[in-house]
Amino acid sequence: MSKLIGMDKLRNLLKSIKHAGGLRAAAYRLYRFNDLRWGQYVGEDKYGNKYYENKFFFMGRSRWVEYPPNVGTDYDASMVPAEWYGWLHYKTDNLPTKVPPVKYPWMLEHSPNTSGSNQAYFPYSTTRQKIEPWLPPHLRSQSGQA
Amino acid sequence: MAAPGAGVRLGGEFMRKVKPIFSSNEAEARQRVISLYKAWYRQIPYIVHEFDIPKSVRQCREKLKEEFVKNKDLKDVRIIDAKVIKGQMDLVETKKMWRQKHHVMNYFQDTRNKQPTDFLSKFYAGRE
Amino acid sequence: MTRCIQCTRCIRFASEVAGVDDLGTTGRGGDMQVGTYVEKMFASELSGNVIDICPVGALTSKPYAFTARPWETRKIESIDVLDAIGSNIVVTTRTGEVMRILPRMNEDINEEWISDKTRFAYDGLKRQRLTFPMVKDADGQLVPCDWEDALLVVSQKVKAAGGKVAAVAGGLCDAEALTAMKDLLNCLGSEAVCTEEIFPCDDMTGTDFRSNYLLNSTIARVEEADQILLVGTNPRFEAPLLNARIRKGWIHNEADVALIGKKVDLTYDYKHLGESGDILKELSVGKHPFWKTLQKATRPVVIVGSGILQRSDGPIILALAQALAEKLRQSSQGCTDVLTTTEIRLWCCTMDAMATVESNWRVLNVLHRVASQVAALDLGYKPGVDVIRKHPPKVLFLLGADENALTKQDIPKDTTVVYIGHHGDKGVEMADIVLPGAAYTEKQGTYVNTEGRAQQTLVAVTPPGMAREDWKIIRALSEIIGLRLPYETLKEVRERMREISPTLTRYGNAEEANYFKQALQLAQSLKGSLAPDSLSPRLLTLKDFYMTDSISRSSRIMARCVQAATQAMQSKY
Repeated sequence: MSKLIGMDKLRNLLKSIKHAGGLRAAAYRLYRFNDLRWGQYVGEDKYGNKYYENKFFFMGRSRWVEYPPNVGTDYDASMVPAEWYGWLHYKTDNLPTKVPPVKYPWMLEHSPNTSGSNQAYFPYSTTRQKIEPWLPPHLRSQSGQA
Repeated sequence: MAAPGAGVRLGGEFMRKVKPIFSSNEAEARQRVISLYKAWYRQIPYIVHEFDIPKSVRQCREKLKEEFVKNKDLKDVRIIDAKVIKGQMDLVETKKMWRQKHHVMNYFQDTRNKQPTDFLSKFYAGRE
Repeated sequence: MTRCIQCTRCIRFASEVAGVDDLGTTGRGGDMQVGTYVEKMFASELSGNVIDICPVGALTSKPYAFTARPWETRKIESIDVLDAIGSNIVVTTRTGEVMRILPRMNEDINEEWISDKTRFAYDGLKRQRLTFPMVKDADGQLVPCDWEDALLVVSQKVKAAGGKVAAVAGGLCDAEALTAMKDLLNCLGSEAVCTEEIFPCDDMTGTDFRSNYLLNSTIARVEEADQILLVGTNPRFEAPLLNARIRKGWIHNEADVALIGKKVDLTYDYKHLGESGDILKELSVGKHPFWKTLQKATRPVVIVGSGILQRSDGPIILALAQALAEKLRQSSQGCTDVLTTTEIRLWCCTMDAMATVESNWRVLNVLHRVASQVAALDLGYKPGVDVIRKHPPKVLFLLGADENALTKQDIPKDTTVVYIGHHGDKGVEMADIVLPGAAYTEKQGTYVNTEGRAQQTLVAVTPPGMAREDWKIIRALSEIIGLRLPYETLKEVRERMREISPTLTRYGNAEEANYFKQALQLAQSLKGSLAPDSLSPRLLTLKDFYMTDSISRSSRIMARCVQAATQAMQSKY
């Protein structure tokens, strides 16, 4: 019945506003994430990203991440670490909190994409120096020079 | 008269008799130079407008003066005549729009870096 | 399986030219193998030449192997300055880096050989280089800066010194830099322009006569000598190519060699007369038994090493050598100007057991150890730093002076030391201002070898970083001080050098020097006595040979050679 006159849509809107925590919060969330969704909180990773799931939405929109408030609007998809990436992109249904991922000693810490920032990769020469200059003692690095 | 090219001693200096191009003495040459300068000077506002040069009329006139002053130490009348002829040819080409903007802007050499000429500048630059 | 075709060129070179019989063949027929048979080093200072000799490439240059291909390299002809012989070399470069050094043929100097140090010390040109000017800041630390600041600081100190400036030139300086330095200092009113290497220079002996400090019988003619007397020198390690010549004379021309000094292995047999300087004294007056043999020689040669001339009794030694040489030269010389050759021969037949010495044969020779000494002496430098010790300066210029002739203790505490050179060696450690110069492969400079032959190096690579040519640094400094030197191009500097001494610009000619008699007259009025120490040179074994100057000291290859030579000394073969 409510489906006929579209009342369930309104109900969903109110549900999501309530999930957001009020009108003001909902407006800020809309500004930050460009959508208001309600869903079950599934887990959090060590960077503060919170993961939510709601099977009401179709696949592709049913699992999502909410970035921590300290990044503001400056979030980037590469902030999601490897263990949550699989679940978020529907590669697996295993949650990293339930099924811990495989750990190898050679694995590096996850780092987001630094393009555009001053940590961005800039190509450098890997050839050996043609001339090794003499450096005064206080400018010599740990490798040391005679 | 002695054949052209032959030398004659004139007041202690060794002079050579040669065939003149246009002017036969310095006064005539000077007149030609000044009339050329005036012609360019008057054409400059039209140059600036027609070629749409990013320089002001005053800047162009300063550059004109600079170019003429570069040759102020010339003594040989035939060389002065030759330069006046070239200047006149440039003026005609510019007036008739046979040239383009970059030809006119070439006079300014904005992007060319002056090479160091004295020892110390060359030393600091590390060249020569 | 090696490339060896058993041509035995390397074996014959080692046996004949180098004199070290380390290579040989084992087995015969199809199983013949060329080598040292046991794990042994080919312990010769000329060992690198087998690389050039081997026709197939069984013996190759280990440092150069697989670093470059010949068609991508550029070859520049130049001169070697790591010893005083001035061997002609070809500097092979690629992309602005020296890849190897090869010998160039010069019949008069090095034939077609070069010593190991010349050949392999090029990697010292890439290490420990000074590439930016440095000035000591308030904390006493050398801080990099740019040329304007460095030259400004130097000029301020020089102007405040009021004429109390001095300069010390090292062993690798070219004549252009030496000229500019002397001109600048003379303009400032100072005469304290010295070389690190001492040479006897009093009022009596000294550098006024060129014949006193040159290898007067040129390197090529030493081969023709029949009696060679070496005084306090080890030519095997001080000038390997001269030693090769002496050996050539010993083999082919029946030359007899005698040595006064420590008994060393010279690769040929010689008569060891002793170690003391008294032997020289006795010889010079004709009392020593060896005098009879010397007298009979038609082409005697006396070679005095500059190492023993560094001692306090150096002038005496040189005077004795001069006396001896003059006695030998004049054994029949008295009237050569007037008599014809037939008359001389008749005159000599009447003398009993006297031999003729050719009229243009020169007996006295001095063998230097550094490449810049002869040019410095030609230009009027004072050999030895005593002048500076006696009159301490306020500003001291070190032109590549790395042998610690003057240490921090010898100069007053407030002296500003300016180092102009190319390697960070001992000179930089005591410097307050460092101005980077160019090494010998990076400048067109004039070097005069020990026989007085001027030669020039050519630019093979550009000076690294912010380094500049040495004479240009001095010229720029002079302009900033306000006493602009009158030359701006290399041509003008060489004109100035020609003004001072024309021999400096006559490239390729060994100008003969004379006035032996007059020099002897001055030397004979010298008073003093010989010290009792033995006349032994500094370089005694192969391991001492490899690291003698700032370039070879920074070379990794030379370090490995020293290691190998030290190990070889302990091996039981």
